Amino acid sequence: MPDLGVACSTIAAGVLLGGMLALTALGLSIVLGVMRLVNLAHGEFLLVGAYAGLFFLQFTGIDPLLGLPVIALFLAVFAIPLYRLLLQPLAERGPEAQMMTMFAVSIILQNVFVLAFSADTRSIARDYATLPLTVGPITVPLIYLIGFAISVAAVLVVHWLVSRTAFGRDLRASAADPEAAATIGVDVKSVRTLTFALGAACAGVGGTLIGAAFQFGPSSGAAYLLNSLAIVVLGGLGNVLGTLVGGIALGALQSLGGLALGDGYRDLVGMALFLLVLAFRPDGFLARGRA
Amino acid sequence: MKRRGTIGAAAEVAIIFAAAAALWIAPNFAGDYWLQIGFRTLIYLALAEGWNLMAGSAGLVSLGASCFVGLGAYIAFGVLNKLDAPLPLALAAAGLGGGALAALVSPALFRLRGLYFTVGTLALAELLRLTMINVSAFGGATGIFLKNDPPDLPILFRYALAVALLASLAMTFCARSRASVILRAVRDDEDAAAQMGVRPFRVKLAAFVLASAVAAMAGGVQAVKLGAIEPYGMFGLQWSIDVLTMAIIGGVGLRLGPLVGAVFVIALGEALADYPEAHVAIAGVILIVLIRFAPRGVVGFVANPALVLRRPAPA
Repeated sequence: MPDLGVACSTIAAGVLLGGMLALTALGLSIVLGVMRLVNLAHGEFLLVGAYAGLFFLQFTGIDPLLGLPVIALFLAVFAIPLYRLLLQPLAERGPEAQMMTMFAVSIILQNVFVLAFSADTRSIARDYATLPLTVGPITVPLIYLIGFAISVAAVLVVHWLVSRTAFGRDLRASAADPEAAATIGVDVKSVRTLTFALGAACAGVGGTLIGAAFQFGPSSGAAYLLNSLAIVVLGGLGNVLGTLVGGIALGALQSLGGLALGDGYRDLVGMALFLLVLAFRPDGFLARGRA
Repeated sequence: MKRRGTIGAAAEVAIIFAAAAALWIAPNFAGDYWLQIGFRTLIYLALAEGWNLMAGSAGLVSLGASCFVGLGAYIAFGVLNKLDAPLPLALAAAGLGGGALAALVSPALFRLRGLYFTVGTLALAELLRLTMINVSAFGGATGIFLKNDPPDLPILFRYALAVALLASLAMTFCARSRASVILRAVRDDEDAAAQMGVRPFRVKLAAFVLASAVAAMAGGVQAVKLGAIEPYGMFGLQWSIDVLTMAIIGGVGLRLGPLVGAVFVIALGEALADYPEAHVAIAGVILIVLIRFAPRGVVGFVANPALVLRRPAPA
């Protein structure tokens, strides 16, 4: 067993990292909840956010964390035509056609990343990315805490949007029963477009945070997609705050698994947990049925 | 709708055997280049037939082909290296292993319908890959070498042919027998089928186990041809992607879909061999266009499905 300081630091890092990934997972979750669509390009949306953060820094010199609203907006604007042109026409054809289409979008985007930005791995180089933060026996990279804080704040904003605003009411209505929602005057088409844009914005902001904390390359998306799916399943589909709890829980358990079995087992623990929850608690381990 | 063709089940089986017999003697004439292409097409055909059975007949859209390809590869190598068993035995073991894994995980994967099955297969493939990387008994990240030299290409070609033949015959059986009606009933409305006395779980399980066994055997043949396997390649998402692409391009649920899709994808790969960087993107664009404008794929698009459905293989 490693010594206590290392163990505490590892678990703290896992918790912070899980919270950081929760925002990306939330984007996947709301799209899944409202449109019954597993957006297989979500990992690539995340990378669009990471690259956007990188180039935002290069061209404007402004810290990408300050530019996060711009990046969120950019991703939303990027996603709306994708939805309108590619997904909307398939709305009546069941979820598979849309899922396959997003899958095609994902491989096209990967290819575009390689052509436009080369296959090199990159990272958004900032001072805070490498600084350690020490509290008592715990030492974690400062960026983990910053990313965690921003992610939690963003998740709370989305929670407020979904639970307190008129758009959120329409969103929940469209998720629960699109036909009934349309009958009482909800513009389901616009709600879906905006939900897809919001999902992309979550992925993009999450991507910038991840790009600041880790290296990324054109094919990094798939791992984050799987991780996000695990968080969504853990937290319960469409449950905004559950996603945050799911992210933190996954991060903590992965760290514990890594400590107990060796570092290589981190992701393995995540996937095993994912399948176990899928098998035994399909509504998420919080299991509060909310659409 | 299965009565639509003019050719009976016996004739379809006869055509499949005739095509297989013709291909069996192909190594006597064809050069290495064509045997390589043929080998890949046959492996892909076997995978796509299984995928088509699951998605087209039972409504199970899988992104986990790589899981069973990889498992088959590792089992085949294990049996060949540790037991010095002959290749057919190793492939049979791979098929059994693939089917067994499918049966083992099915309670978890079938628990939720539709998209969750897809997501679950994806996670399963990743889980297996990570296991192989981390457990040193399976060779870890560097993988395993085949102890003895692999057989020559003409022999491997015939093994691939045998696996594809097996897959095609199994699909003919499923499409022609009472099983096809049950499969379709489950795909179209699981609850209604259950009320009529069909057990959806068993039906889906049968399709999943069969397709997984075929995929594992195909993986075994592929692995032997490579002579060395490692977890990144054998469990790579690329397998799942290619299979899905072929099935959709060919036409989901159509008898000739997998064959046309496999030939199309291999031909496209050869045509774009000089532009590897654009290959994937072009495949993606073709996918999007086909999904949008030709929901029944090339086969459904090119001709009236009623006429095409029972025609012999064009290749």
